[in-house]
Amino acid sequence: MPMPEAPRNVYTVVHRALLWGMVASTALYALGVARALEAPVVVPLDHAFHLSWRQTWSGLAALDPTALMLAATVLLILTPVARVVLACIAFAVDRDRAFVLVTGAVLAVIALTVVLGRLGLH
Amino acid sequence: MFAAAVLAGFFGALLGVGGGIFIVPALVLLFQLPVKVAVAASLVSVIATSNAGGSSYVEQHITNLRLGMFLEIATTLGALSGSVLALYLREWVMLFLFAALLLYMGITAYTTRHRDDERIASGAFASGVPDGWSRRLSLSGSYHDQALNRQVEYVVHGSGIGTAISYLAGVASGLLGVGGGVLKVSAMNRYMNVPMKAAVGTSKMMIGVTAAVGSILFYLAGLIHFYVVAPVALGTTAGATIGTMVMNRLRSAVLKRIFAALMFYLAYGMLVKALALRFHVQLPTLGS
Repeated sequence: MPMPEAPRNVYTVVHRALLWGMVASTALYALGVARALEAPVVVPLDHAFHLSWRQTWSGLAALDPTALMLAATVLLILTPVARVVLACIAFAVDRDRAFVLVTGAVLAVIALTVVLGRLGLH
Repeated sequence: MFAAAVLAGFFGALLGVGGGIFIVPALVLLFQLPVKVAVAASLVSVIATSNAGGSSYVEQHITNLRLGMFLEIATTLGALSGSVLALYLREWVMLFLFAALLLYMGITAYTTRHRDDERIASGAFASGVPDGWSRRLSLSGSYHDQALNRQVEYVVHGSGIGTAISYLAGVASGLLGVGGGVLKVSAMNRYMNVPMKAAVGTSKMMIGVTAAVGSILFYLAGLIHFYVVAPVALGTTAGATIGTMVMNRLRSAVLKRIFAALMFYLAYGMLVKALALRFHVQLPTLGS
């Protein structure tokens, strides 16, 4: 019995999305850790760091370790989301409506998570 | 912390789990971090190991993309529910739940350790009848097994129970900072007629998006500490990269034995900590 599989282009886009997400976030984390080791600080665990967009951009420009690690974390979290978006597009190109709906449903749950988080679910 | 994460990433890649099942106990037992900080760091590291391991398994076509994406609907919904629960539950309850999950997975892996090779040899994976969802969405698949040097075909069925367990895996992910891969691999292997290695590859991809859902909530709640996450994420990425090179060369029974031993060891550690917190009972620790 022949076994149907996802088309090759879907495998390719998913592979590339995961690979580049891994490479970019690893590079940022490595740079952040290296910078942090240059000037060690005591990090309290009772609160997390929060940086505004402005602080993050200026921190990245100055190679600030916290900004670098924050950017790496955000990039890491967005990688699987980007993978679902790209797979959805690849399924759409292949006119595979069922899987456009499947990947769309996953994206809807992710969007709901962001909305609930922003509304102060925590 | 980096070394512990390398080990977690390595075994996570071998077994299709995120490594969170090792990371959380390591951060709590070895580094004395609060459970919620450990859970948040673990979730982010699960994404790191999923990206590293998942990309390799996708490239090797071990991952069943259709099946993984179908089950991701349930698992992301579960992760959302679990993350909400995690923000309100007491620490000792989370530790008990973690210990129970570890014990269950260890027992399941050990009792089914020889099942895969026997079923591949007899052609049982390829001879099932697909259920309605599996047929409509073409969820069945195949992969090349390097240890057996043959193409292994399998027919997916049991989509209903697989979806239900994937939801629970998502809950476990958000609640306990794991990828939920332990449950996903079990669901696919035991109930959906998916061989262990294909289940590992598919789970490895799925856990990334599952953990992303939990991570988003923890990030917005301010529970992610970048100085804890960074060495852990770097370590799990390195470990997962090595693990994916080894996995397809091993026999399933070996994978399951390693898995079971680690589960029992970690379950005991978490149980000791939970009992100490809740009932002030001090049991001997096993080197941690």
